[in-house]
Amino acid sequence: MRERFRPQREWAEGRGLLLIFAHFLTGAGAGAWIFSLLFGFTPGLVAGFFLVVFGALAHFFFLGRPERFWRMLTGFGSSWISRGLAGMSLFMAAAFVYLLLWFFAARQTSLEQIFFALSLLGALWVVVYKGFVWASSKGIPLWNTPLVPALYISYALRGGAAVLMVLGSLGAQHAALGPLEPLKLWLAVSTAVLVLIYLEVMRGSGMTALRSVDLMLFGRVALPFYLGAVLVGLVIPIAIGGLAYARTVPPELLGLLGLLSLLGDLSIIYCIAKAGLYRPLPA
Amino acid sequence: MRYGMVIDLKRCIGCTGCSVVCKAENATPPGVLWLRVIKHESGKYPQVRRISIPLQCMHCAEPPCLEVCPTGATFQHPNGIVDIDADKCVGCRYCMMACPYDQRFFNAEMRYYFQEHPTPFEQVGYQRHQEGVVSKCNFCLPRLEKGLEPACVANCMTKARTFGDLDNPLSEISKLVRDRGGYQLYPELGTNPSIYYLPA
Repeated sequence: MRERFRPQREWAEGRGLLLIFAHFLTGAGAGAWIFSLLFGFTPGLVAGFFLVVFGALAHFFFLGRPERFWRMLTGFGSSWISRGLAGMSLFMAAAFVYLLLWFFAARQTSLEQIFFALSLLGALWVVVYKGFVWASSKGIPLWNTPLVPALYISYALRGGAAVLMVLGSLGAQHAALGPLEPLKLWLAVSTAVLVLIYLEVMRGSGMTALRSVDLMLFGRVALPFYLGAVLVGLVIPIAIGGLAYARTVPPELLGLLGLLSLLGDLSIIYCIAKAGLYRPLPA
Repeated sequence: MRYGMVIDLKRCIGCTGCSVVCKAENATPPGVLWLRVIKHESGKYPQVRRISIPLQCMHCAEPPCLEVCPTGATFQHPNGIVDIDADKCVGCRYCMMACPYDQRFFNAEMRYYFQEHPTPFEQVGYQRHQEGVVSKCNFCLPRLEKGLEPACVANCMTKARTFGDLDNPLSEISKLVRDRGGYQLYPELGTNPSIYYLPA
């Protein structure tokens, strides 16, 4: 049989890598914004905002005709990409005004509260929508599952916490991040469990999804999966997180934990994209 | 009215003439293949069969590419043909991920078949194509508007292809589907393709 599983390349190779970076950056940035609002962590707010802006730029340059990007707002009723652009626009506008108020105007005003709420809504929107973009891709069985949005939400929150840990290790308001350490460990463990569930469920979700999982576990995507997503992204962060839970560790080690988590997040997004296969034709 | 096509796999000899004529008719650039013919082997030695299966946009009645398109560039004509307005396409390639039949093509940059400069044929034909957008088969809509059949149908040397109205129970293709057990690819996905295959 000459025609079997065809890999999708447009969202994983060449300029498609920009989309991987875009989803990674916007997820980590929105997650960082949410946790920074919760902890009142100023450096995280700034970093979160700029990460989402860089992610939006990566989205922009990924497009074949970027000058027409505004047209993407017109499909809000049915397209998750449109919804994502609306969410990102809301976030960037609200977060920008909130940061201006935060730095240059009196705090605890009703205006600040409004933009606090709007930016939080936008950030939540950004965290949530990405998984649905992949999950609504009917052509790729590996992605076409409700588990993908759950996985992407989990990774975005984990990425956000990781950004804060990296910033904290650099000495920026480290004390404000005390509650983040156990939360980070919990997020890493729950994400690892979610990845296992995802892979196990997809193994039983038809021939094409099984083949995709095999690509990740034993095929051409195995190296970035085991090295990036599993070892760097899950095993080492969980080990460091466990150590930090049991005894006090230097902030530099927690910074390393955050950095490795972020590399792992990028790796898993890449692996899921790269392992995407179309159903075999003929049926 | 719902345009559709029936492809008789018993008649198809895999000459790929339909692919060639599609390229000639639509002047698609290198890497863009709106119609391709794949070879499929089934059975085990010594009972092995090899059949040729032409593949192109299925013009689904429920096209998944349409609902994911963020700009409305992908749209459906009242006659059922799924088409792309290249002027609206932003090249996000979401439709390519949504198409279960992998029948959409992204033209990242305009390339030429011969050397670095377009041939006179390409100079004319490429005016219908844009860089950075997705394209696909449109059942040769310009030919249909002139009362002609799609190029792949008109030029099939074994008459393996039949084009017509699926909504008309008296049309030839409706009869073929009914009488010869025409089947769609991946009907379980609920896309309801307008291309039916007759068993080999």
